Formats: sequence, C-alpha cells, structure tokens
Amino acid sequence: MALTLTVSSSSPHLAVLWTVEHLKGQVQINVKEGKDTVLRVTDTISFTDVHSIIRYLARLAPDKGLCGSHLTEQTEVSHWLEFSQTKLMQKAEFAAGLEALNNSLSLRTYLVGNSVTLADMCVYSALEGSNEWQTQLQQNQAPVNVRRWYSFLEPQLVF
Amino acid sequence: MAMYRLEPFCGGEIQVDLPTCMYRLPSVHQAPCDSDGQATDPAIKMLESRQEDILKRLYELKAAVDGLSKMIQTPDADLDVTEVIQTDMQSAPQCNLADLDTILGKDYGALRDIVINANPSLPPLSLLILHSLICERYNVLSAVHTHSSVVKVPENLLKCFGDQLNKKSRQEYQLGFTLIWKDVTKPQMKFSIQNMCPIEGEGNIARFLFSLLGQKFSALTATLIDSWVDVAIFQFREGSSKEKAAVLKAMNTTLDKSPWLVGNELTVADIVCWCTVHQFGNSAAIPPNVQKWVKSCENLPSFKAVLKFVE
Repeated sequence: MALTLTVSSSSPHLAVLWTVEHLKGQVQINVKEGKDTVLRVTDTISFTDVHSIIRYLARLAPDKGLCGSHLTEQTEVSHWLEFSQTKLMQKAEFAAGLEALNNSLSLRTYLVGNSVTLADMCVYSALEGSNEWQTQLQQNQAPVNVRRWYSFLEPQLVF
Repeated sequence: MAMYRLEPFCGGEIQVDLPTCMYRLPSVHQAPCDSDGQATDPAIKMLESRQEDILKRLYELKAAVDGLSKMIQTPDADLDVTEVIQTDMQSAPQCNLADLDTILGKDYGALRDIVINANPSLPPLSLLILHSLICERYNVLSAVHTHSSVVKVPENLLKCFGDQLNKKSRQEYQLGFTLIWKDVTKPQMKFSIQNMCPIEGEGNIARFLFSLLGQKFSALTATLIDSWVDVAIFQFREGSSKEKAAVLKAMNTTLDKSPWLVGNELTVADIVCWCTVHQFGNSAAIPPNVQKWVKSCENLPSFKAVLKFVE
C-alpha cells in the first residue's frame, strides 16, 4: 500500500514537509503537488487535517519517536499540537502564548523529551508563519528561550 | 560481738514543748483529700468541664485535619511524593497493577495522582465520563475541590464524583483523581512530575485518560480517533453553524458503516464527540445515524451517570 501525499503548492505546510523529510527511508510516500494538502491512505480513507497527517506518518515509524516515546510524552505532544493551533494562531492570545512557551523552554532543548518531536515542528511552523514573531525577532525583542530554541531548530529545517 | 559499746547520747524520753502560738495550720504535708470542700465549688467544676470539652474538641479537630491531609495527596499539596510511592509499592492491590504499570511506563509513580482544573461554567463532560470508565477498571480515589477563583459552584458539580464517604488510606488506591473547579479558560491537567508541562485542552486530557484504559490501536485507527477528537474540539465546538452541519454530515456517513465513530468499539472519539454534540449542538439538526449513535452512547452507564447530574 503506497501512501500518496498531495501537498498544496500555493501554501505548503512546513510541518508536513518536514515530517516527510524526517521519515525518509522509513516510510514510502509518493509526494505530489496539488491544490490541497491530502494524505491518501486507502481508497476510502484520507486525512486532510495537518495534525492527522503528521500524526499518522509519525506513527508509521514509531522508532523515530516523533509522537513521543511513552504516554506522558505523547500527551505532551498533543498538548503542543493544540497549543500551536490555538494560542499561537490567534492574535489576541499570542503574547500570553509566547510567554508560556518561553517558560516551558527555560529548562529544555526540545519541547518534549530529549529529541525532536511533532511538538517542536508544529510550534516552530506556527511561529515561522506569525508576523508578530518575525517582527519581534527582527527587533531583537523575542523572549530569550524561544529565540534560542528557534534558532537551534532553524538549521535542521532547511531543505 | 562488738568491741565497743556506746551508751545512747540522749535519754529515751525527751519532752518536746509544743509552741503555744495563736494560729494553727493544717498539716501541709498531708494528702490533699482535705480540699474536698473547695473542689465541690460549682464554679470550679464548670471550669474544669469546660476545659475538658475544649481539649476534646481540639483533639477532634486535629484528627479531622490529619484525615484531610491524608486524603489530599495531590501534587499541589506539599508532600514528599517519593515517600508515598514507596509505601504504595509494598501494599498496592495486585489486580490490574501490572497493566497500569506498563501503560504509564517509567513515570508510573508520579502519574498516580491526576489533578484537573476545570471551569464550572463549562463542565468537561467527556472527562467525567472517562473518570467513571477509569473507576470501573481501577481503584480510584476521587476528590472534588473548589478553587478560590470561582465563587458559586452548583451543588451537582461538587458532587459529580458521588459521595466520597468511605475514605481508605491513599495507599489502597491505584490512582488519585482530583478535580478542581477553577476559573480557567481551558481544562488543565497537572502531574506531580516537575519536568512535564501542564496539559491543556479537554481533548488532550481525554486522550490521555482513555489511554489509561489500555486499549491498543493500529496507527491508522489511532490517527482516526485523534482526528475525530480534533474535529470535535476545533470544528464543532468553535465552528460556525455551517461547519457544525458539515461535521454532523461526516459523522452520519461514518456511522452508517460502523456502530461507533472508529470501528466496532467505543473510543475516546465517541466520548468527546458525544459531549460536544450534547453541549454545543442543536438537537433539531441531528441526522438519523447520529441520533441512533447518541442513543447508544446514552445507554451506557457511564454516560447515563454524567447526564443525570448535569440535568
């Protein structure tokens, strides 16, 4: 069963691309360009939601631990997925969200556990797409822990 | 035979002259039984009984506080958790324990106490249903508290775990489940492990609680379940009426093929979806398959119990 991933050519979702890249060699995926982002699993089942797509891909390669290696980590990962979609996407909550993120990162290299997970990916791409964050970064006003974490991940994400 | 013999220094009979003073004192060295006359004084008796009363009440109060501190072994309480866990390991009941151990992995001990903050204006029904499902499987010590940030919590919410009268010691339970009614925007779950961030969002907490029940799913099924939870939380709960209609339509199509949203068994997807439909849906606009599914959900005892106290 070959997976077919259609990536929206107008607005490719960073987290999806990165997950595919990260799982290269472990999971066979055909990537196409198209109108919307869709992961076709079987004839009847396909995922259109970004979180579902990356969750599914990550679960296909459990050794990579992208979903977290045990229950606590998995729960934390899903916490951050929701966080990236709500707090960091809404203008009104952005400041509070960023502060919470800064506090969480104060003693961490990665958001969950000791390796890169979907949590890092989604929060990173939410920040990357946020004008507010880019402005803060340019004006050198970004909270220190988030900035450290962000610039640490940046080189791993260039492809 | 003694070599020397001494004559007594004094004579055998010495006449002691008693003083002839004006006052006579009762012997001070005698047993105080003579003071009976004073103790019978009613005022003193009253004072004595009052003191005894007060002491008794203090003692009772101390016992009550001791009992409370044993009951609330939440991470919020200042308590050495490691100590509790060690005693737990020796006396914990055997059934299901290995199971819970494997599910929770290395942090088993720390995760034994789950604390959830929730807003009473929007009670997280799915968490209450999951709580009763967990109670069916494990020995759970549940408690409800009210945080100072909320003033008036309805009686039924305070009693949502039923009457918690028969308190055993914490060690006899496998899990601690504390619900705190608090003014929070989203339900939060906290653990006693310091390196873990608090988990926000009803859906995420529900996923975690459901995992405690120990069902295993394939990658596809697990993702389908997660995606339904996301749909319920993001699209149905916060969506417009158009989005809600789309979700209901999708549910209707899915429920045409299977009795539950994902496969042949009840999953967290059903629990979270049912709760959002119940709390945010418009009962008039529910398509037939969804209606049937709502009925079968509500037939389950854990759903019934939650429904009963909400209405």
